[in-house]
Amino acid sequence: MCPFCGLGCDDLTIEEEPPSTLTVRSTDCPVAREGYSRTTAAEPPRVAGVAVPLAEAVEAAAAVLAAAQTPLVAGLGTDVDGARAALALAERLGAVVDHALSDGLYRNLTVLQRTGWIATTLAELRNRCDLLLVAGPDPAALHPRLFERWVAPAPALQTPPSREMVFLCGEPLDSTRAALSGLPVTVLAGDPAKIEDAAAALAASLPDPSRASGAAGIAAGDIAALAERLVMARYAVVAWAAAAFEGPHADLTVERLVRLVRDANRHTRCAGLPLAGHDNVIGVNQVCTWRFGVPLRMSLAGGAPLHDPHRFAWARYTAVADAVVWVSAFRPEVPAFPTGQTVVALAPPGTAFADEPAVFIPVGTPGIDHAAHVFRSDTVVALRARGLIDRGLPDTATVLKAIAAALPQEAPAC
Amino acid sequence: MLTKLAGGRIYDPANGRDGAVDDLFLQDGRIVADPGPGAAPDEVHDLSGRVVMAGAIDIHSHIAGGKVNIARLLMAEEHRASAQEPCGCVGLATPSTYATGCRYAQMGYTAAFEPAMLPSNARHAHLEMADIPLIDTGGYLVLGNDDLLLELLASGAGEEAVADYVGFMLNATRSLAVKAVNPGGINAFKYNQRRLDVDENGPFHAITPRRILTALAGAVQRLGIPHPLHLHGFNLGVPGNVEATLDSIAAVDGLRLHLTHVQFHAYGAEGDRKFSSAAARVAEAVNRRPNISVDVGQIMFGQTVTASADTMAQMNNAGLAHPKKWVMMDIECDAGCGVVPFRYRDKAFVNALQWAIGLELFLLIEDPWRVFLTTDHPNGAPFTSYPELIRLLMDRDYRLARMAELHPALPEHTILGSLTREYSLGEIAAMTRAAPARILGLSDRGHLGPGAVADITVYTDRPDRRAMFEKPDLVFKDGRLIVRDGVVVAFLQGRTHVVEPAYDPTIESWMARRFDERMGQRLTHFRIAEEEIRGGIGLIRHACQPGSF
Repeated sequence: MCPFCGLGCDDLTIEEEPPSTLTVRSTDCPVAREGYSRTTAAEPPRVAGVAVPLAEAVEAAAAVLAAAQTPLVAGLGTDVDGARAALALAERLGAVVDHALSDGLYRNLTVLQRTGWIATTLAELRNRCDLLLVAGPDPAALHPRLFERWVAPAPALQTPPSREMVFLCGEPLDSTRAALSGLPVTVLAGDPAKIEDAAAALAASLPDPSRASGAAGIAAGDIAALAERLVMARYAVVAWAAAAFEGPHADLTVERLVRLVRDANRHTRCAGLPLAGHDNVIGVNQVCTWRFGVPLRMSLAGGAPLHDPHRFAWARYTAVADAVVWVSAFRPEVPAFPTGQTVVALAPPGTAFADEPAVFIPVGTPGIDHAAHVFRSDTVVALRARGLIDRGLPDTATVLKAIAAALPQEAPAC
Repeated sequence: MLTKLAGGRIYDPANGRDGAVDDLFLQDGRIVADPGPGAAPDEVHDLSGRVVMAGAIDIHSHIAGGKVNIARLLMAEEHRASAQEPCGCVGLATPSTYATGCRYAQMGYTAAFEPAMLPSNARHAHLEMADIPLIDTGGYLVLGNDDLLLELLASGAGEEAVADYVGFMLNATRSLAVKAVNPGGINAFKYNQRRLDVDENGPFHAITPRRILTALAGAVQRLGIPHPLHLHGFNLGVPGNVEATLDSIAAVDGLRLHLTHVQFHAYGAEGDRKFSSAAARVAEAVNRRPNISVDVGQIMFGQTVTASADTMAQMNNAGLAHPKKWVMMDIECDAGCGVVPFRYRDKAFVNALQWAIGLELFLLIEDPWRVFLTTDHPNGAPFTSYPELIRLLMDRDYRLARMAELHPALPEHTILGSLTREYSLGEIAAMTRAAPARILGLSDRGHLGPGAVADITVYTDRPDRRAMFEKPDLVFKDGRLIVRDGVVVAFLQGRTHVVEPAYDPTIESWMARRFDERMGQRLTHFRIAEEEIRGGIGLIRHACQPGSF
């Protein structure tokens, strides 16, 4: 079960070549190949750049975090257990909490919180969808096997089984064209910065396609034909990967697509498929939401959880945080933090840092070094990924629990 | 360690005790027989004058899983508003897992069951339930709109094959019971049908809701699952839906059936407003047929959020959303989910009559072993309103006083004012403890006899029953004191209740093929391993007795 991009592919053949090198044989998916190939040998933790035993690194991490006034627990590229431990630590510290990739997630969640939506999941797409409308850049750039696994097979639960694809304000990748070979594909390559205009024009013309107007560089006739097709569809799906949208207000693009879906439901069935989900961002958001009643981008500083998607976005909050716990168990990349900021980093061995963190603790990768729960990109399905090799690395949850246990005991309640 | 609870008034209907003063002894998490005069308890609690009951059990409360988290996301501003309360969670329709466990325990509950766990979402629901502290949990598996089952039925498969399918699914998803939600309707909605009559063929599989209902009720019986089919019926919230409710009772033809949140399914279409109470008709049918049980799904006034797998009904209600936002999802060829915020207003006629219909049902159904106290949390109201509901049932004067504050047209549309029944403490104990345990097959819970798990709640007997049930003096879970005077004093983890009915595994090859062809997930990965449930130490298995019901 591949844990990396959130599609939950469980048909991989992975071979181990000693010592601890993994090679994906059954697919050329670049995300899977890269994810499984990162199996650098274990290395010891470091404190201020000096190799130390794990216990010492844990003590050092606890010491700097105990002194922090405005801590941030972020990154959060980890499995469900890792998320539980990170949130528990954040609660002890009174920290702000966010995931490295929640920008893309929030372009969707902001709309869900504002208006709600009509959405669907991957198996519904595969088995029922007769018209797939892809809005904006091809999501396969982020989720490479989307079309091969979920779109190319004929819908089993429609009679007669037929499916066509329309790419709106975006071009299919070559790999997508190959995966969809033999199926009808229409490309309306309008301006990718004006997806919302195309969606609005489309929605406006649903009741009467003959009155369609052009938008985003797409001719009125093409909008009219698509509107007609959308109304005639038995189960249309509008899919997008919001992380790939351009501009600072991409949530407004999502909102327009969500409205298009609602409008289409006055005529037929139609559902959105907001794709997100690298590094288990969906799963971490789920855990955060059930543990605290509110989603990511929240603060535990005041006792009760306070959710504010603007204020508590990690990239903004790093400017005021005096200590950062950064968790990146899926990838050996950690962002550059302001010079002099106290950073406790949990990441795979071989991670390169712009500045050496105060504490670096190498951890295993979920689904490689240990069994793990992660969530699929459509939010509904939780997956169980097996551990494959043993590099002698601890998992994130174990390390974070140890740090929490090493913090000074809380004063008893009065 | 031996603990003695001395001299309490014991309400233990499963063992025929109705307020008699007696001692209880606890050892190793269970209730034990009186060890005799020579024994020296390590701990003694003097319960003179106090009321002692088993820990309460909620058979229908949406506490975990995808729809609950969507509701939390959608209602984040409600959380922000109530974060000003000292505890951070008062008044929430969408409490966190932590608040859920604490609030239930503080009210004397020691178990609550998630009644709508979709197969594809079961792993998520279990991960979430594991984070609810203090209380036991479990899930009822939603079947009846899953394309695999409908296909199986459409192929003419016999009862055995259907039972094998249901048996596999219960085992694979670690569930306690089978739930059907608007059987056939959610599936039909995916084909743009906004209504489906009980005897109308579905749009794709050509199976009627009646056939799905009877097939599932039959499979539950055949497998010997203790809890009868848990049915969220047809036409939820639609005036006149009582006919479909009575028809469902007739359709199962003597098989056991549990009708859930029956308040939402007890509506007539009579009178000047084309909306009337049909509680008396439903109650009469329940009173006449011992194979039928219900929970009420009482509504209480205020802001809440409705969360249901019934997308067909929820889509119809979406226009009533308050605030005006809502979520619908079609899910994994299993079912769906609809989340619609709602504010029940005491001055609105329809809401006032819904309130009265729920109370009529409680008061007209004679057997407290077959009517259960629920608000369909959070759909009718948050579960934290149970103490208020108990007071309404136990105190007629209070009930009449509340009724007088509601919409002025209410009295001429309800018989509630004429109902003099007041529930006794023994009846409350049956309804909230003994009966839920019995109907779920939890043989060592819900009672206070030797061998029972020591889940115990101790109250001060107050005339204000709301105050009494809101804040028990002591709550024990597995023999450990977890709440004293309304304050959580110890944390421990609950367990997960499941059944594991026997079935013929040859069904798995048929299913594996369809999972490979359609679901994009292998059957082996769909199946939830034992070690995934609360780290492998969480399961409590309950016996199935094929042919015994």
